[in-house]
Amino acid sequence: MNLSFHIVVCAGIVPDPLQTLEPVIGDSGPALKNEMLLPAVLDPWAAHALYEAAHLARGHAGSKVWLVSLSPRAKLQQVMMTVAQKAPFELVALDGPAGGFTDSAEVAGALAAAIEAIPGLDRSRLLLFGGWESAARGAGTTLAMVGERLGIFDQFQGVDELRVEPDGSLRILERVEGGRHQISRCAGPPAVLGWATGSLAEPPNQPQLGMQNMRTILPALQRAQSVALPAAELRFVRVALPSQQRQTRIVRDVAAEEVAREIVDWIRG
Amino acid sequence: MEQVLLLLTTGENGSIGKAEREAVTATRNLVCALGGSVWTVGLIGGTISPAAEQLAGCGAAGFVGVEGKEFAVSRYASDAAAAEALCRAIGAGLVLAPGSSRLMRALGGVAQRLGARIDTHVVGLRVQDGAIQADRWYYRQRIEATLTRAHRPWILALDPGSFPPWDGAPGTASVKRVPLELGPEAQRTDVVGLQAVDTGEQTIRPEAELLFVAGAGWTKKQPDGKTHVEEAAHLILEFVRKTKASLGSSKSLVDLAGEGQAVLPFLTHLHQVGQTGATPRHPKGLATCCHGEEPHVVGWRFIGERRAINLDANCGWARGKADVLYVADAFEVLRAALRLLEGNEHR
Amino acid sequence: MSEPELTRPVMETDIVCAGFGPAAGGFLTTLARRLADPSKPPIESRAMPGLPLQVVCYERADDIGFGVSGAVTRARAIRESFPDLDPAAIPMAAAVSREKLVYLLDPIGASRRPAALRLADRLIRALGSVLGLEHEALELAWLPAFLKKEDGLVLSIAQFNQWVGQQLLMTGAVQIWPGTPVADIVVENGTVAGVRLMDQGVDRHGKPAAGYQPGMEVRAALTVAADGPVGAVGRRLDAAFGTPEGFDNREWAIGMKFVIELAGQAELETGTVIHTIGYPEPEIFGFLYVHPERIASVGIFVPSWFDNPARTAYRYLQHYIRHPYLWRYLEGGRLRSWGAKSIRESGRRGEPKLAGNGYARIGEGSASTNVLTNSGVDEAWATGVMLAEAVIELLEQGKPFTRENLEASYVARRRASWVEKEARMAEHARDGFHRGFLSGLAGVALAGLTRGRLRLPGRPRKPAPSLEEYFRGRIPPEEIARIRAECARQNRPLHDALMERAGWPPIPLDGRLLVSHQDALLVGGKVQAPPGVADHVVFLYPYLCEECGMRICVEICSGEAIQPRADGPPVFEREKCVHCGACVWNCPRENVLLEAGAGGLHSAEN
Repeated sequence: MNLSFHIVVCAGIVPDPLQTLEPVIGDSGPALKNEMLLPAVLDPWAAHALYEAAHLARGHAGSKVWLVSLSPRAKLQQVMMTVAQKAPFELVALDGPAGGFTDSAEVAGALAAAIEAIPGLDRSRLLLFGGWESAARGAGTTLAMVGERLGIFDQFQGVDELRVEPDGSLRILERVEGGRHQISRCAGPPAVLGWATGSLAEPPNQPQLGMQNMRTILPALQRAQSVALPAAELRFVRVALPSQQRQTRIVRDVAAEEVAREIVDWIRG
Repeated sequence: MEQVLLLLTTGENGSIGKAEREAVTATRNLVCALGGSVWTVGLIGGTISPAAEQLAGCGAAGFVGVEGKEFAVSRYASDAAAAEALCRAIGAGLVLAPGSSRLMRALGGVAQRLGARIDTHVVGLRVQDGAIQADRWYYRQRIEATLTRAHRPWILALDPGSFPPWDGAPGTASVKRVPLELGPEAQRTDVVGLQAVDTGEQTIRPEAELLFVAGAGWTKKQPDGKTHVEEAAHLILEFVRKTKASLGSSKSLVDLAGEGQAVLPFLTHLHQVGQTGATPRHPKGLATCCHGEEPHVVGWRFIGERRAINLDANCGWARGKADVLYVADAFEVLRAALRLLEGNEHR
Repeated sequence: MSEPELTRPVMETDIVCAGFGPAAGGFLTTLARRLADPSKPPIESRAMPGLPLQVVCYERADDIGFGVSGAVTRARAIRESFPDLDPAAIPMAAAVSREKLVYLLDPIGASRRPAALRLADRLIRALGSVLGLEHEALELAWLPAFLKKEDGLVLSIAQFNQWVGQQLLMTGAVQIWPGTPVADIVVENGTVAGVRLMDQGVDRHGKPAAGYQPGMEVRAALTVAADGPVGAVGRRLDAAFGTPEGFDNREWAIGMKFVIELAGQAELETGTVIHTIGYPEPEIFGFLYVHPERIASVGIFVPSWFDNPARTAYRYLQHYIRHPYLWRYLEGGRLRSWGAKSIRESGRRGEPKLAGNGYARIGEGSASTNVLTNSGVDEAWATGVMLAEAVIELLEQGKPFTRENLEASYVARRRASWVEKEARMAEHARDGFHRGFLSGLAGVALAGLTRGRLRLPGRPRKPAPSLEEYFRGRIPPEEIARIRAECARQNRPLHDALMERAGWPPIPLDGRLLVSHQDALLVGGKVQAPPGVADHVVFLYPYLCEECGMRICVEICSGEAIQPRADGPPVFEREKCVHCGACVWNCPRENVLLEAGAGGLHSAEN
């Protein structure tokens, strides 16, 4: 059976996870202090989704991958210099805020419109990929909303594995409570898959791939439409770093047996 | 006055679990603070009467439900349709739900269908000057925000572990069934079953009293200049088994495993806490051989009592973040602890 | 049966550039403008006929904003490239508003000061009120003209590089690829024919492993080495083509700095530049630059002629910021990021061959840094511009990139430039430091004031003394032996124990500004440890390490990435490495090889 997919990966960018973040409230709501200075990466879960998409496309001739991102253009351009070397894709860029303080409904509206406008996209073969959560905002409600807007009613979140069966059905493993996976079988595309980490390692940089991708990335960045995300009804009362300073009692120069006894007593206590 | 709906899904026997009972407490408290609002419990499941009876005394004005074998499974299409039908049936302006994997999958789409707005990872709710304020996390649990919305419907998914579970007496309750026919487009997915990860029981288990976090230090060279990965694996697994602890890992240790190095092969990304991993909630946490700054340590933000074992007195996991830091060799301490726990088993 | 060998992919380009820093910035900016200029005839690719000239730049770091080189610059060449430059367009950039030179006394008494300096210190203290001694420091009324940066810019080089990179990419005329180390050069018949990128899917020793992917050969008519003071491409060129007669590249310094968010009460105007001398050791120079939005860069230079074999820049930097003159500004601040880099201080004496068949060198690796004016960024940028002008000239004339053609165009431009003129003035400026701090200062002053005509004798460099020699009279040899044994038992470096024994107080860590060295690795940075690449720090002959009693590499390592081991060479941890290269030039036996490597710590604000 000849199976091919049109895979659209929705991926925002976020400050590198190791950055120390500090929120500030400005005129247009909360933001991160110096956000434009911080090194950015593709949202980690969405990056896994991209690697899975590339892997799937490689295994099914005739498949194609698009990466749709709503991010500040200058930062996205920088992130693309690395991401473009990882997997073949065509970029669809929207120039707008990537911070988590935007409203998922507004973001979903912009992304869905951009996906609908992709020329040649075959909606019957569409697999909409993304992260199940976003490193900025938390639970992936955006992806579900985009799926609904595109009329996709088979949705999966926390996906760790996708297998295409010989009959064209999709066998999907989702993370559920208790460290287990739920196994589902979906008749086929279209479907929404919000990825957890999957099982693929980050691909090595492939310079030739980067050069090939860049031919579409630069024009996509140049024509990226600016997107305003009004959320007048959403009001932030406060954003703050949690205070979590504890008075740490430091125990040193004590025999291991003594430490072990104290710990075991504490656990039992 | 708000029209409040609490959405719950039932388990195999038609009853509800801890996360659902926590959501009951949150809803009761919120409705009480709102004054004059009424709330309804909306149940989705294969069987729903046991849950209604379980919640008979919770104070809800009524129970509505969508029931049937196609609603027994955790599946987007059926769950979203059921949740949408229940919201519409009572004209809910405010929808609360536990942040279970099942409802988290469905609620985003439900919000889209209802023209609602949605916030997830909600850990606190209050009413201030007549407006509902929700506390939630941003940037992987590193920034706390309090927000309020004028838009209705407003869906709020509550983080498990954030509210005490409601524990009232059961009784009798009647449920108004909302009829719902699923079209063929909602039945393209079959749920085949559940599968435990290869690592067996040694993953993050929400109900455990203790979270044991293993850091990359376990695989580093020890004072004799060699690594002792096999012993580390043995000590960690035995300790976790004997203390019935949940096992977590730092990102760096999990990443090492991803590099194909022979290090603690039983650890996967499912164990990872902090950064892109989990931020589990347990009453106690013990971090061993972990090192790192604030972003890593996010992983145990919601751990009650925290202790750490590390050779470095300036360990980022401990300074200002743990209650006690033992500057000690974790190998030696765990060996001794296992002997103590062994003695206890034989006693 | 052995696995079939994977063939190395090959790509044809016209110009390949290794490293993206200020030099490559100047080169690519100038070149891209010409290529994208619609009023000029297009320059067609020879490698890929029908396409425009193919120009590719590879940067080893994960982003293009990496590097901690001098954050204050006169920006003469940069302003020439960007005549309408508005500092506000570049994050963390500001015009220099005021500049001071400050002599710091030793408030602790642990600094190893020569007798003459101790005497001078006593005099200064005695005359304190007359001289204006405050906060254990003397603000010098006069700043020599050669040091002045008053018309310049305070920059974060990382942010500046990112800004330049953004401008470049949007031209579409050149490509810049971060995360792509250049491992080697391709030499054919005495001509550089391109570069070879790093192999991936290999073990720590570079042997093929799972997912082996040989590094691509990128062929080019011109290879530009812009990979900095310790770059692998530069070293490969030296190895392949030799160095000029009299080449001497033994003068170095490690520059380490903190980027600090200042506390509310600190009164420091944006654009303030403070240079310091005298503390924490007389040989260590320091600086404080104030960026917009209450961010400051504070750092020190630990030179190769400072002979403490247990020198640690990190610990010294912590003592430096706690000097009362600086601490009054910095107390209560927060560490935002941290970094270190080597500075090639040999000046013209360390100039390699600037060009040959198919290659040219620009930037710090071409010895452009001026040690007299303490300036490197502007000079590096200028060398890049000069090469681009030469390349454009040759391309327009249809001439090949031969040694003769590059010498007549690029090298000739270098020789006629202000970079060269000032390098000649600086050539012997620091020789005096080999005889001591005061003669060193005198030498700098003499060279600066006479524009290089007069100098003090001072060379050659002495080998580093043993610990026992260095601490003679301060720590008895048996005490050193005890500390050495104790540290060896705990597998940790010696420097903290020795410094504390020598009178340096412990650092009161506060978790905000004063953090442990290990924690600093995780502040404001991005730690990369990509799988499947070889270690980039290699100890060539294990027996040499075993014989070495000094282990300076362990002590100097800016990221604590080199750790001692009881038997055999030290242990290298790739993810902690900041690629500063200090291990290379500090090794007394030249037994450390620094290859182009991926990963390590990366700060976007340095």
